[in-house]
Amino acid sequence: MLLNTKEGTIVVSPLVNLAGAGAGFAVVVFAIPVLAGQLIGTKSAKIRKVNLYNNAAGNTQVIIGNGIPCVAVMPALDSINGLFDSYGPDELVEFETFADITAYPVALAAGTSIDIQLELLILG
Amino acid sequence: MPDLYIFKAQVGMFDPLALQNQNVCIHYVQNTYYRKVDFLEALPPFQCLNIGALGAAGISARTNVVNLEMPDNEFGLFRWYPIDDAQIRLFHPAGMAKWQLRNLQVTIDMQVLVRDPNLVSTEIAVWQNNRPAMEAINGNAFALGAVRIIAIGYRFHTIDLESTDKELVKALKAGTQPCTHVWCSGRGIGD
Repeated sequence: MLLNTKEGTIVVSPLVNLAGAGAGFAVVVFAIPVLAGQLIGTKSAKIRKVNLYNNAAGNTQVIIGNGIPCVAVMPALDSINGLFDSYGPDELVEFETFADITAYPVALAAGTSIDIQLELLILG
Repeated sequence: MPDLYIFKAQVGMFDPLALQNQNVCIHYVQNTYYRKVDFLEALPPFQCLNIGALGAAGISARTNVVNLEMPDNEFGLFRWYPIDDAQIRLFHPAGMAKWQLRNLQVTIDMQVLVRDPNLVSTEIAVWQNNRPAMEAINGNAFALGAVRIIAIGYRFHTIDLESTDKELVKALKAGTQPCTHVWCSGRGIGD
């Protein structure tokens, strides 16, 4: 085969702490790469995996989307009190975004937080 | 030179259609230019065009692919494919439909990588700044964030033969000397 048909490059986001509940407290989890000085080279991203760690925040849900306030791009993901939750390609649809990815927990016990990290496929 | 021709299919990166000091005849619309290659280099895969966001079931404006323009005395040989889910119509030059059948202008989409892995059917050549143009068609009921095109190919610098070696040009026209013919445009139906 002439060209590698592998879609793109797999990267991981930083480990981000979500310490505020509600769409207005969403945090940027992954910023779409912009290659400075490159005239062309638009990048997009597909989320392959979502890892959540619930820091005694209570049973809640995490919303993943675009923008602040965050607009959801997929159904809410459950985050169970005090546990690690992982969602992979079997659970997630191949949503593609050209905008930075943001996330927030629906609710948090006072003084707690949820850690989130994404694995993504970068295209373009 | 039976090994020098356009639309080659083989395993691996596609071959250049001419090597150092080999003769080419460049066809651009109804014009022909007999020239000799005096430099060539490969062009690795690169994003040559982003037509931009496209609404649901929308058709983009015809967009010139300025990044495929070549400098004076040069032609480029390209194979290409889209990486977003649109169908692409090619025009080369901008006013002339490429891949035109009697009743249909053939389009290309992402599936070309599976159906034609060597991208043979996408091969085009560009003479100097006579660039192609593309239109994108979004058949989906949702918008596309971008319509991006990846190209791969070769760059050839050539020198004119018609003013420097008339005897050779005569031999090339007669077919007694080897020469690779390169189409750097489409052609109108009935032309």
